[in-house]
Amino acid sequence: MQGSGIARLGKKIVRDRQLLIIFLPCVVFYLLFRYGPLYGLIIAFKDYSVFRGVMDSPWVGFEHFQNFFNSPDFWMLFRNTFLLGFLTLVFSFPFPILLAMLLNEVRVSWFKKGVQTASYLPTFLSVVIISSMIIDFLSPTNGIVNKIIGWFGFESKYFLIDPDWFRPIYILSEIWTNAGYESIVYLAAIAGISPTLYEAARVDGAGRFRMMFNVTLPSILPTILVMFILKTGQMITIGYEKVLILYNTMTYEVADVFSTYVYRKGLLDNDYSYGAAVGLFEAFVAMALLLISNRISKRMGGSGLW
Amino acid sequence: MFPIVYILAVSLSDTASVTQGKVFLWPKGLNFEAYAQVLNDIKIPRAYLNTIMYTALGTFINVLLTAMAAYPLAQREFIGRKQWTFFIVVTMFLNPGIIPNYLIVKELGMIDTVWALVIPNAIWTFQLIIMKSFFEGMSSQVREAAKVDGASEYRILFSMMIPLSKPALASIALFYFIGHWNSYFLPMIYLNTDSLYPLQVVLRDMLVFSEDSGSALVEAAALAPQAKKNATIVLTMIPVLIVYPFAQKYFAKGVMLGSEKG
Repeated sequence: MQGSGIARLGKKIVRDRQLLIIFLPCVVFYLLFRYGPLYGLIIAFKDYSVFRGVMDSPWVGFEHFQNFFNSPDFWMLFRNTFLLGFLTLVFSFPFPILLAMLLNEVRVSWFKKGVQTASYLPTFLSVVIISSMIIDFLSPTNGIVNKIIGWFGFESKYFLIDPDWFRPIYILSEIWTNAGYESIVYLAAIAGISPTLYEAARVDGAGRFRMMFNVTLPSILPTILVMFILKTGQMITIGYEKVLILYNTMTYEVADVFSTYVYRKGLLDNDYSYGAAVGLFEAFVAMALLLISNRISKRMGGSGLW
Repeated sequence: MFPIVYILAVSLSDTASVTQGKVFLWPKGLNFEAYAQVLNDIKIPRAYLNTIMYTALGTFINVLLTAMAAYPLAQREFIGRKQWTFFIVVTMFLNPGIIPNYLIVKELGMIDTVWALVIPNAIWTFQLIIMKSFFEGMSSQVREAAKVDGASEYRILFSMMIPLSKPALASIALFYFIGHWNSYFLPMIYLNTDSLYPLQVVLRDMLVFSEDSGSALVEAAALAPQAKKNATIVLTMIPVLIVYPFAQKYFAKGVMLGSEKG
């Protein structure tokens, strides 16, 4: 039996040989650049030296992890990563919902289209451009924000070097870049609400506001819940590319997150093994969060990520 | 929208008005001085050309490889289809972090070459899934008929499927395009030579070096090129603004798929 199984497999391979050749680059790509780095991760347990390579560098076990957990940086990074992720989640989450509900009430089609176009746009601008706008606006000498608070008689302030301001700035900019784009999901959910519900509400004498709160909101609540749970799973994979541009020595204490730390220690200071260990820890936490949130989302009857 | 209009206004204004903070939505003392400065600065036009080159090459490779990966996966009888799909989708959840990625690129000798920017991200799994479901939706009868006529799989893919799926290819190409155009982190870690830098890295250097130190002195020194900086930003945004209306048609689809399947 087994022999015929192998024969059948061989026949299939011969039959699909052209497809397999077309598919080959894809396999090579995934092996090299998606699975290859997983193998490279073993340097987190070694003392990687560039000259000896991954294989021949000596094993050190969990030393890098221990050093990391025992260093004062650990709690700072832990706190920063979670706080930044959590605050961004909590504060930016309602905006796309609000935007979608408001857009749904707009009856003038060109205005609705215009607002949508304008609100999606920032998602497509680069992190560098977004950050440069932030830096420009907050510049202490001629940034527009300081001009405006100047009119009210306040002193100008160098927001970007003030640790108290880093998180609000980051969160606001996240809202600005993502709210429009994320509203698409909610708009689609709203589009799926049965018109009969609105009819019934109208018959009962509900105004537009009542309908927003008593029909639209409850109808998209399942979507909101699922989105929230999924977002929780992605909480700590925050935009380090932006943090990297916006932070500076004055704000490290609140802005440094796992990924920026990996970049600084691992790549700038050439401490590859230590960087890889921190990166692995981060990936582990991120994965755990994702798995938990996905499970919850499924249990609540929503569709999970997979 | 306001920030974008404001950046444009500043880039078109004269330095005096900018420093005095007179510029809001409309440029004061309209001139193209800043743009002339940008074009005369050797670094920026070169970076612009680099970006165009990387984006064109990168997008081409992306689209080609994505189509080549998606086509076999879309065929119901393709050997090991389920296993291959699993092999690919699993990688969306395995993220070893930047150091191991960097080491692979380094060991392949790609550091400081264009290849570091285009090869390690040649396929985005998400776009691959979109493309796969598009190919699945295409009539399998077309393929069967072609096979009966003796066409090879290569011919079917390159002279039938790809021309027939232009709309889908265009939509994934747009996302790849924007990804390459906007990327700064990868070029920053993989390229060491100034003359290879793409626009985003040059722009970032303009920002970080003028403001990072946190001292008022440095900031004062950086004041003069304010308009120049904004002119660079505007020039950097233009291609994205041009493709944006086309891209917009497709995002809703992408987002919806994302919310369901990841």
